[in-house]
Amino acid sequence: MSEFATQLGQDLPGRDQGLPDWVAAVRARGAEQFINHGLPTRKDETWKYTRLGFLDQRKTRLATAVNAQAEPEWPAPIIDVEQQVRFLDGVLQSGSRNFASGLKMFSLRDAVKQNVPGLQKLLETLPSTHDKHLSADGFSALNDATLDNGMVVHVAAGVDAGRLLTMWSAASGSSAKLFNTRICILLEAGASLQWLEQFETAFDHSNSTNVVVQVQLAEGATLRHCRLQHESENAGLVTRTEVNQQATSSYSYFGFDLGGGWVRHDLHTCLSGENAKTSLNGAYILDKSRHVDNHARVDHIGKNGYSEQYFRGVAGDSSKAVFNTAVHVHKGADGAEARQSNANILLSKLAEIDTKPELEIDADEVVANHGATVGQLDEKAVFYMRSRGINELQARQMLTTAFCRSVSDKLIDRKLASALAQRIMDVMPQLEDPDE
Amino acid sequence: MLKISNLHAKVAGKEILKGLDLQVNGGEIHAIMGPNGAGKSTLGNVLAGREGYEVTAGSIEFNGKNLLELEPEERACEGVFMAFQYPVEIPGVNNTYFLRAALNAQRKYRGEPPLDSVGFLKLVREKLKVLHIGDELLHRAVNEGFSGGEKKRNEIFQMAVLEPMLALLDETDSGLDIDALRTVAEGVNRLRSPDRAMIVVTHYQRLLDHIVPDFVHVLADGKFVASGGADLALKLEEQGYAWLEEGGIQSLQNNEPDKGSGQATSQ
Repeated sequence: MSEFATQLGQDLPGRDQGLPDWVAAVRARGAEQFINHGLPTRKDETWKYTRLGFLDQRKTRLATAVNAQAEPEWPAPIIDVEQQVRFLDGVLQSGSRNFASGLKMFSLRDAVKQNVPGLQKLLETLPSTHDKHLSADGFSALNDATLDNGMVVHVAAGVDAGRLLTMWSAASGSSAKLFNTRICILLEAGASLQWLEQFETAFDHSNSTNVVVQVQLAEGATLRHCRLQHESENAGLVTRTEVNQQATSSYSYFGFDLGGGWVRHDLHTCLSGENAKTSLNGAYILDKSRHVDNHARVDHIGKNGYSEQYFRGVAGDSSKAVFNTAVHVHKGADGAEARQSNANILLSKLAEIDTKPELEIDADEVVANHGATVGQLDEKAVFYMRSRGINELQARQMLTTAFCRSVSDKLIDRKLASALAQRIMDVMPQLEDPDE
Repeated sequence: MLKISNLHAKVAGKEILKGLDLQVNGGEIHAIMGPNGAGKSTLGNVLAGREGYEVTAGSIEFNGKNLLELEPEERACEGVFMAFQYPVEIPGVNNTYFLRAALNAQRKYRGEPPLDSVGFLKLVREKLKVLHIGDELLHRAVNEGFSGGEKKRNEIFQMAVLEPMLALLDETDSGLDIDALRTVAEGVNRLRSPDRAMIVVTHYQRLLDHIVPDFVHVLADGKFVASGGADLALKLEEQGYAWLEEGGIQSLQNNEPDKGSGQATSQ
């Protein structure tokens, strides 16, 4: 294990008298795992394209308090949302609150004390990430070990709680910090919520954030999740979203990686109940030397589950994107339908995209297809546009933008779709002159 | 306006055009007919500047400029337009947005200010009215999911908005039923003007019932083997292209064009 991880292990918080015994047990278990196995390394199959050396190089330390002396400048929300909460340096900036819509938002501490139904079980059972080495779960173990900051959202049965926006930003700090935060979203039977996350900081910083999101969808519940990651050039962000779906529940995810220095997202949904649906979508648009790593995984357990994945990526300059998608249709998950589609465009010779689809089927009457491509633009389309007077660079720019907009165009929320389309256009990397 | 002299061109190492001459003046409509593989589409692609079409000899002059030296977008800005045989689908790029980008690129080239979206929409409405086509194509992605007829209509609509000096219609009639053919031909006829020349490339005579050309040229094996007036097309329809192999060129060549300005000769 690296010296760096050993140092982090030594900085782990001790016993907190303000937290109940079962939380202390979760923390102790996480601490033990982390101290024994540390952070992921490139020997771990699911981390082999991901370099973590930067954390050490920056002498990143575990954060213990918010960095900032004063309130920083908050970026504008992607769209106006009334129900809004903010995280600064991974720490929730408001107290627990009951919104008029029926949405209940707790700080993690309050939620633990008030024993929000289902929370204990959720926190005690963060699953492994399916890698044979325990070090692959290093960030989750660290998150368990530091369990304290965070938010719990609860929506009662049958309630449509509308839109909730969580804004994530960092405060300036002279030294690099690692923030750990836990988010739990609990939707009771038939409840629904549209949840937007925005990771964005108005200035460049070298902090890193480690967020674990746990979602529990009871029978017939619906969560529409959209995440905009537009972090600054050096920011580190490692997130894990774990979704568990009961019968007839529905989960949709739209992720947009438009920034960040080093970004990793493990997105996992488990279709536990019958007739559950999940739709995972994303676009990543990289320039400079950004590294964005997305790992999507769907487990079909219940019968007649439906899953689809649609991801589009563009890498320019010397950036690097990793996209890994896995679908496992387990024994007994008969009648499952699973679709995976991932296409990528490389805009420069120095950029790199690694994509790997995986499909494992152990059930009957399954419909499944997958495709992953890394390529260039459609040259026929480029010529067609040029033949109308549009110069080559502009034609390529328009085509690349359209390629990524095909993701935001799928959003039902038209206002959100158009705001995201604008962001996509704004960040589209300038293309290299093909003649050079 | 357009002067093609002794044009030789290769595609994938194979010589397709073998010494082609053509002069087109403003206001004229020239039809180019010929059997499959004669080089009809190659001529269009060479004019538009598609990659992979190598000109090995000869010249193309357009309004005094050497067309072959220009990039495809520069040719468009100079006033050359090709209506594609197979218009390309561009998912995610809105038709209106695309056309405005194209028009403004051409305006910029000519030193004119760009049209804003209001001004552009006004122009578009006028053109749609002239062409008698609805506005449903405007809101969709370029050619995406369009029927064959819609794609060809969209080409004519683009031509109406971009107002080229020379339009080349590459087998615009292929894949169209008779009603769609009529609509497209009517659109083309409305865009006829004394300043605009058109080259209509077609395999069949039926399009020429609707777009009556001033000149008809027969292309075979990379050269023009006959030229004449509109009635040459009728003769071709009757006799097919079989006479090309049977030495029937002489009799067809007796058809002199009605007007003297256009000319095409075999080498």
